[in-house]
Amino acid sequence: MITAELELHRPGSVAEALDLLARHGDDAKILGGGMSLVPTMTLGLARPEIVISLNHVPELRAITEDAATATLRIGGTARHNDVIASPLVARHAPLLADAARHIGDVQVRNRGTIGGSVAHADPAADYLPTLVALAASVVVRSTRGERVIPAAEFFIDVMATALAPDELIAEIRVPSQGAARGAYRRLARVEGSFAIVNAAAVVRPAGSGASVVAIGGVAGAPVVVDASAAVAAGLTEAALAAFEDAVRTACPQPFEDLNGDAEYRREMAVIHARRALLAAAGAAAA
Amino acid sequence: MQTTIKLTVNGRARTVEVDSRMILADMLRDQLRLTGTHIGCGTGNCGACTVMLDGRTVKSCCVLAADADGADVLTVEGLYTSPDDLHPIQQAFIANQGLQCGYCTPGMILSAKQLLDANPDPTEDDIRHGISGNLCRCTGYHFILESIQDAARVLRGEPSAPSASITGLRADDVAG
Repeated sequence: MITAELELHRPGSVAEALDLLARHGDDAKILGGGMSLVPTMTLGLARPEIVISLNHVPELRAITEDAATATLRIGGTARHNDVIASPLVARHAPLLADAARHIGDVQVRNRGTIGGSVAHADPAADYLPTLVALAASVVVRSTRGERVIPAAEFFIDVMATALAPDELIAEIRVPSQGAARGAYRRLARVEGSFAIVNAAAVVRPAGSGASVVAIGGVAGAPVVVDASAAVAAGLTEAALAAFEDAVRTACPQPFEDLNGDAEYRREMAVIHARRALLAAAGAAAA
Repeated sequence: MQTTIKLTVNGRARTVEVDSRMILADMLRDQLRLTGTHIGCGTGNCGACTVMLDGRTVKSCCVLAADADGADVLTVEGLYTSPDDLHPIQQAFIANQGLQCGYCTPGMILSAKQLLDANPDPTEDDIRHGISGNLCRCTGYHFILESIQDAARVLRGEPSAPSASITGLRADDVAG
């Protein structure tokens, strides 16, 4: 039982949810799968006066494609296992499903939502660097209208995002990977743990945008390192060394905790960024 | 704040009055007296409270009871009709000594069911991944793994074949 009093709302539509948010904004917390929020409330660490559950809004759970613009559209309350099992995700953004397979455990993937993970914005979450590397956008809605925010701008700091108190995450919009190849690598103590560091690489064919590696777990928001030059140079050892130096420079002050000090985290970021890049490029992981 | 919810629990339609602060695990145990669902950590780490919600396993300590409105819930009590007619997974846990203190067992059994429903012939690795959300503080994972392998055999229509380590242990017990 959660001890703090709370007023629970279970809207049946997005419009109803937005009205509730417009009225209660600052005092309200949105409940997706509840994988972080419910235990946090049970422990008394979060005591929202009003909770708005999105578990009864079927329109928010759909995964669709916009064929004309080659865009994948994932509803905010799509469960991680919906993402993993979706043929549309497999077709347009297989990298996202690869990352989602590492989230928590079976029960967490059955219940947890992509919008919940994105809104919670734990810096080591599997989706964060992946969405940034894929140049995805977070579509947020309020009674004031809709905003489409690039993932790279949405994540601001540790558990801090561009989401306003009266907005909810309606959709995650991912441009189809097309001919780009992706790979995801993470370091964790045991399966089910949050990553210590993680890295998502997207290698794009020449002329179709930058190849990048986005790294999580080192700073408040994912760190992006351009890998285009290394890819163009054929990922020679010299090119990789330059890329690794760029990763080191991009991670000047990594987090320090019981899992590792700054120097360890920086080197792990380098190694996992390199592995993700090589795997995405189709080479054997070093 | 009280809410009335309607849901199906173990095949039976129920109408329950719940407090908005109540978690699903508490509702099952305290309102419906289905105490087979255990609460270990209460924070989504241990998996003792695992139940099936609309056919998928969830940790019922992380689901608000009111959010189960309209859902189909299966708890360990819903797996069998009588103590003489246990589900093959339950039977396999007995035959293979897949439990020590038994606290994690209901959650382990439902995670095993989730796995075997989708994958009737799992590898050892599949099983380890399938139960990675369930902790056994007795650390009896090896026998749990063998229990699930044995349950998979029975569910595929093959005879139960408890592992040699278990049958050997029993022979020793009898001899002693």
